[in-house]
Amino acid sequence: MDKELTDDERYPWLDDESRRLLAWLHEHPAAPRFNHHCGDRLTAAGLERVRQFEDLVNTAPPSWRPDKPPAWLAGFVAFCFRDVPFYRQQGAAPGRLGDVPTCARADLSREPWRFVPDSLPLDDLIVYNTSGATGQPLDVLSHPETASKYLPLLRAALRLYGITLEGGRHPRTGRPRVALLLVCSQRRTYTYASVLSFLGGAGFAKINLDPMDWRDPGDRARFIDDCRPEIFTGDPLSFAELARLPLQHRPKALISTAMQLLPGLRQELAERFGCPVIDLYAMNEAGPIAAATRAGHVLLQPRLYVEVLDEDGQPCPPGERGEITLTGGFNPFIPLLRYRTGDYASLSSSGTQPLLIGLEGRPPVVFRGAASREINNIDVTGALKPFALPGFQLHQAADGAIKLSVLPSSADTGGLHAALSGLFGQEQNVEIVVVERLGGPGGKVIQYSREESGD
Amino acid sequence: MDSEGPFLETLTRRLAECPADFLAEPRVGVKGQVRVAAVVADLLRDMGGPLLTPAQAAVFQPRSAQPAGGQRNWLALVLVAAWLLGDPAFRQGQRFGTSAAAFLIDGLTELARLNPAGKFVSDPDRREELVRLSLSRLGLRPAGETPAQAADRLSTISTTERQRVLEAARAAEARARAIREAMAKKAAEEAAAQSSRE
Repeated sequence: MDKELTDDERYPWLDDESRRLLAWLHEHPAAPRFNHHCGDRLTAAGLERVRQFEDLVNTAPPSWRPDKPPAWLAGFVAFCFRDVPFYRQQGAAPGRLGDVPTCARADLSREPWRFVPDSLPLDDLIVYNTSGATGQPLDVLSHPETASKYLPLLRAALRLYGITLEGGRHPRTGRPRVALLLVCSQRRTYTYASVLSFLGGAGFAKINLDPMDWRDPGDRARFIDDCRPEIFTGDPLSFAELARLPLQHRPKALISTAMQLLPGLRQELAERFGCPVIDLYAMNEAGPIAAATRAGHVLLQPRLYVEVLDEDGQPCPPGERGEITLTGGFNPFIPLLRYRTGDYASLSSSGTQPLLIGLEGRPPVVFRGAASREINNIDVTGALKPFALPGFQLHQAADGAIKLSVLPSSADTGGLHAALSGLFGQEQNVEIVVVERLGGPGGKVIQYSREESGD
Repeated sequence: MDSEGPFLETLTRRLAECPADFLAEPRVGVKGQVRVAAVVADLLRDMGGPLLTPAQAAVFQPRSAQPAGGQRNWLALVLVAAWLLGDPAFRQGQRFGTSAAAFLIDGLTELARLNPAGKFVSDPDRREELVRLSLSRLGLRPAGETPAQAADRLSTISTTERQRVLEAARAAEARARAIREAMAKKAAEEAAAQSSRE
């Protein structure tokens, strides 16, 4: 059980109107059974820094040419080699970014503390335990201001579509409104209602559409319609579920993250909700990175340098596909230096504005459990989370049989079998195979796959 | 390390043959035989100056019979280093007085903190370390070595460098432990609201 904070700790700035909105969200007759509390923990000084970050997002968008990296980069590399144990162990800072060794999620997952700069105080550390949409659990070290800095980046993504996330007060009622609803659709996740000082005290809630989270499944549409959020955030699977509800409310936009949003679903959702559906490329380690437009994914962060590398770690020429590799970021606990994401795209530009073309993210996979019950790949990750698996692949055959391939580890295969049988149903055929190497096209490990059954 | 100095072996042999006068007890207050300030002043004069100021001289002749911890050993090491710098190679040309003065005043503190002065006479590695450090502080390198070789060898044999690395490793481990403890504590705490998924 998490240690609960007081409201003063959750919301150092809380005023009466936002307090009333928070109570309204919790006490709404159709509200879900919220199972958690979470505030923005933003002090006045922190809020000011988030505002300064928004100024930077607005005035200094990513801008460079392949032969001329941004001016801040050299200082950032020097800082990392001086102040961050993981990089310092590599010796002196190379003169060129291209000579810095790359790193990857496994490095961060193994020893996240080695990425924390020596000079950074630990007082405001927060930790997100993520199951990881791709299956490799990660303790993400972060800071309340980092969490709030997502909002200027969401605004920047929306601006590409001429949409404004306003927050603040509802123009008709004059009271703080609900700005954002984060929609999930999985068997179990934290849910909570909150208010955000960066958005003028406007409301925010994270909800789970799984009927078990509600007193009455019909409450889902009633609650959402009454909240009237400006924006929905979520993933393709949760939006597909949202589209099935008899909602009347029309948001300004849907922002989809976590998994690849396929064009067909995007079109369907856009028609269903009468608004743009924006595919946001984001990850726990770096936050929102880029937003999809017709031209490609537009980079959002003012201090994030993106390279596209080949298998040998060399930059690909413009237009050639390679692995997206990040340097910089806005989370002070995870300064990234040539961090290989496992995602692929080519790099192009419109003037000095870099674009990611043909981004190939993490495709969502829906498995079939007993009685054809749908099982989200995030649930599979959740079921496997207790096991210290260095890597795995899960494949479901057309007949429903499950094969889990795992790299050698201390994990008990009997326990793995039991966990998957518990999730998919006892009658499901489950096989656990220990392999020396996980395979996939181009060396990329496909975490989840399913053979179509033709039904 | 711009210029070549004497051969390393010449100087380590000189240290090994350090006479008893330079190994005698340094004078502190009313105890001890050797007046270190006088030895240093004579050496600097032979090397072409400068003269010690009264304040500098006072550093080498503490009046207290109970000097701060380690000061006696530092004074003993200054005497050993003074013997080394008395080699004719350093006196020729009268070029090294200023850098020798700086070295004797503030270049031996750390070394004295980590090793008994007598070791810089009796132990081959410590002899080499003192010779290399002295040459380096005078802007010299051992004859027959490149600047890179000389710098590398000094770093390898340096007690202070080894101590610095050990302390850095200890500090890094303490920091990592503090972060892991903070992570364990904070993992059991509420996080902060995040407006989208990844």
